[in-house]
Amino acid sequence: MKKPRSLVILLTVLLVALAIAAADVLVVKIQATQLRKNPQFFAPTVAALKAGDKLEKVSEANGWIQVKTSAGLVGWVHSSAIETPKFVLTAANKDMKTQATASEVALAAKGFNKQVEDSYRAKHAEANFAAVDAMLLIKVSLAQIEDFLKKGLLGDFRGVK
Amino acid sequence: MRASVARILGILVMVGVLLTPSSASFDQLGGVLSKVKKTADDAKKVVEVGQKLRSGFAEITEEEEYYIGRSVAAMILSKYPVYQNAPLTQYVNLVGNAVAVYSDRPEIYARYHFQVLDTEEVNALAAPGGLIFVSKGLLRRCQDEEMLGLILAHEIGHVAAKHGLQAIKKSRLTEVFTSLGMQAAQSYGPQELAQLTTMFEGVLSDIVEQLVERGYSRASEYEADGLAVTYGVRTGFDPKGIVRFLQTMVGDKSAASGKGWFKTHPTPEQRMTGLNKQIAALGDVPKVDDARTKRFDQAFNSLK
Repeated sequence: MKKPRSLVILLTVLLVALAIAAADVLVVKIQATQLRKNPQFFAPTVAALKAGDKLEKVSEANGWIQVKTSAGLVGWVHSSAIETPKFVLTAANKDMKTQATASEVALAAKGFNKQVEDSYRAKHAEANFAAVDAMLLIKVSLAQIEDFLKKGLLGDFRGVK
Repeated sequence: MRASVARILGILVMVGVLLTPSSASFDQLGGVLSKVKKTADDAKKVVEVGQKLRSGFAEITEEEEYYIGRSVAAMILSKYPVYQNAPLTQYVNLVGNAVAVYSDRPEIYARYHFQVLDTEEVNALAAPGGLIFVSKGLLRRCQDEEMLGLILAHEIGHVAAKHGLQAIKKSRLTEVFTSLGMQAAQSYGPQELAQLTTMFEGVLSDIVEQLVERGYSRASEYEADGLAVTYGVRTGFDPKGIVRFLQTMVGDKSAASGKGWFKTHPTPEQRMTGLNKQIAALGDVPKVDDARTKRFDQAFNSLK
């Protein structure tokens, strides 16, 4: 009975593969953020993260998620910076509620994007994108915000003289 | 028989590939497996997976919101010139980002950015994606950091609650999502791009009409006021800053003819009543601080 045995092996291998895939996978949804040592904005940075980076969920507390990077680094990200991958489909079969197809993966990259903006800009010379780009260049660093909060006795530094 | 084993193997591999990027739970995966084990026929259903279309403003992605916000901001900036005062703009950005850290949406696609518009009109506008505008006329009415902080907290509240995106007509959103769901190409062909650009124009006009012309709904304004108090207190600002600001608008004719903040349905008095009730329920709240008022005066000196 060679056939059933090979089937069992196959299914075991598949189960292991699925268990790995089923670990809570999260994706960074904003341009850039930090993996932080503690669940606080002004905690030391463990690593820089960028849009699309995949993370494995470890735990969560007060809006912060403890995650592990593909490089094995563990730290915290704020819940507003990450999402569950959106490749969710309604299956024809009711027992299979959520799974992704190759086309769904391709669709995930679609929507209003730079290509659509460029096309819009070509039609609307009056829209002032130069001023938008200049606005995006106004940057305050986390260190500047921290200093501002400290000097104003605000946020995490309230009552700290 | 060999063929059938090969067939099952193929199906299993396919199921594995399909499931790899998903975050489906063990229960669901177990369900999938037992189904696959049952009969090979069921595997057909695996292939017949339908494409679920996105629905509703909440399913607009972070990146899409950013691109929508950029274009909304480009339209606002074509109507109003920027007030060129780098130190003041930097101060406004520090106050705004400080509040954003303590909001419900501290992280956003390209971070929060604040710009001062060179107009005496009293106005504040928040484009989706965290591009926030305040007018010089509005800043002139601020007397301390708490007032400015609370106004910016109100605008961050609109962004966090996605009030701008909610202005997009449902039928239009359905049209966009349906169109996007049809093809799976990596980039758009000319015809598809033209069609999407037209839809993009529609989305922008829905949002700009609400932001600039019509104003938010009564419910959205009250919600943003509530969030302003919450975020303001978390930051450590005296939440009464927003009440004191609204007080400057009472009986002001420019408030009635204004836009954005003041063309909305609730009057300043109605909003003050709601806010006072909310603040009273909080009990002990932060107070105005001299150190903050001092740096505010310094930054605002150039405005007066």
